[in-house]
Amino acid sequence: MARTLPLALCFIMGVLMACQFFIPHPLSQSFLDLIIKWVRIISAFALALGVRSVTLRHYERIKRRKGEWGFSVVTIVSLLATALIGLIWGVGAKSYLRLIFSNIMVPLGATMFSILAFYMASAAYRAFRARTKEATLLLIASFIVMLGMVPIGTAISPRLSDLAEWLLSVPNMAAKRGIMFGVALGVIATSLKIILGIERGWLGGRR
Amino acid sequence: MSFWEKLGKIDRKIIFLLMAVVIIIPLLSPLNLVGKVGRRTQELFRAIDNLPENSYLLITIDFDPQSMPELYPMYLAILRHAFAKNLRVIVTGLWVTGVGLGEDGLKTVAPEYNKVYGRDYVFLGWKPGITAVVLGMGRSMKETFPTDYYGTSYDSLPIFTKDITYRDIPFMVSLSAGVPGYETWIAYAQSRFGIRIGAGVTAVSAADAYPYLQSGQLTGLLGGMKAAAEYEFLNEKAGFTKAFKPASQLMDSQSLAHLVIMILVIIGNISYFALRRKR
Repeated sequence: MARTLPLALCFIMGVLMACQFFIPHPLSQSFLDLIIKWVRIISAFALALGVRSVTLRHYERIKRRKGEWGFSVVTIVSLLATALIGLIWGVGAKSYLRLIFSNIMVPLGATMFSILAFYMASAAYRAFRARTKEATLLLIASFIVMLGMVPIGTAISPRLSDLAEWLLSVPNMAAKRGIMFGVALGVIATSLKIILGIERGWLGGRR
Repeated sequence: MSFWEKLGKIDRKIIFLLMAVVIIIPLLSPLNLVGKVGRRTQELFRAIDNLPENSYLLITIDFDPQSMPELYPMYLAILRHAFAKNLRVIVTGLWVTGVGLGEDGLKTVAPEYNKVYGRDYVFLGWKPGITAVVLGMGRSMKETFPTDYYGTSYDSLPIFTKDITYRDIPFMVSLSAGVPGYETWIAYAQSRFGIRIGAGVTAVSAADAYPYLQSGQLTGLLGGMKAAAEYEFLNEKAGFTKAFKPASQLMDSQSLAHLVIMILVIIGNISYFALRRKR
């Protein structure tokens, strides 16, 4: 029963929602409204479950002094502190939560991303070699796009940005579209497998 | 170690130092390089420019502080354009970490145009349930967001004269750093409700958005800081703002960084071919 009920619910809702998309009847629209409300409520519960799961996972690590458990202490303290600060003093523009966001979250996030530029430069220098014809082609295309995407490229030659745009709009798009069709077909196949109960990984591992 | 070997094994500390220098120097002494305004930026600019006065413009903050250097200047530029055109701006987002950025942008730009909160613009914040939120806005904005970010009830906000849906919003822009992002809005808001969408994305993910441009699912695309700088230029040219242009200033650093990376790759390849010939 514990497995049959979720499978049956998944099948019924999967089929109903797929059909609903193609039926503009008011009844079908009311059904969509109802489902949206349900999903919103379930999502709120899922959020609570997510917080519980993160807390328990890190609590276990701290309890067993497992691996780098000090980071788990930081995670739990940060989670509790931000939640409490938000709940007690609110979330407005001049709140303590905003102070934390602007002075910790924003600089940390920006720093993480900025460091990438340095690693990318070093990695490109070490790894980007024109070993084959394909690699040479990739190298030339990347140079054109890199120059075409910055003003210095226009200063070198006004045609560079047009060439970069062409590379993105034609060969890149053709390849991307092929990949996207493949992914879309894969998503449809996986969705059907889930709806029909063939793929049951989402139930929790055991088949 | 021969000269060619040394050339192929430059210490990473030297590379990091070189990058730091070429990034910092233009920030202190701008080169004021002027680029060409791209077709995709112009398309997005025109789409917003052609909206009638008092139209709704929905802007979604689907990014976090990590993508802020590229996407936040786009947000500011679009807000300036929207306020200059007297559009009614609705800001929300699918990333909880973007909430503070969304609010910051409004607090920065709205006073420049004497815009009043609740009447000229509104900040709806973030809600869990990505798909349900995007679909819900197509059915009823009031039910999806019964209150704004500050807890003010929907009916108390003069910007909403009725319970609006996507039908009342002629255009929206998703500033997106990944998933959920513009693809989510295309899949659920556009395919079901037909809203016109423009997107702003990071430079590395711009290539992914091109198929949506040709299919007409996206109207205009801002790809990376270059596009943000182009939008700032278009705003200034149209006389909408004289504010500081953060993306334009950062473009000098990006230009030189790209150039240095290319030179390093060329040096690496010279060393590689020289050593290969020796062997």
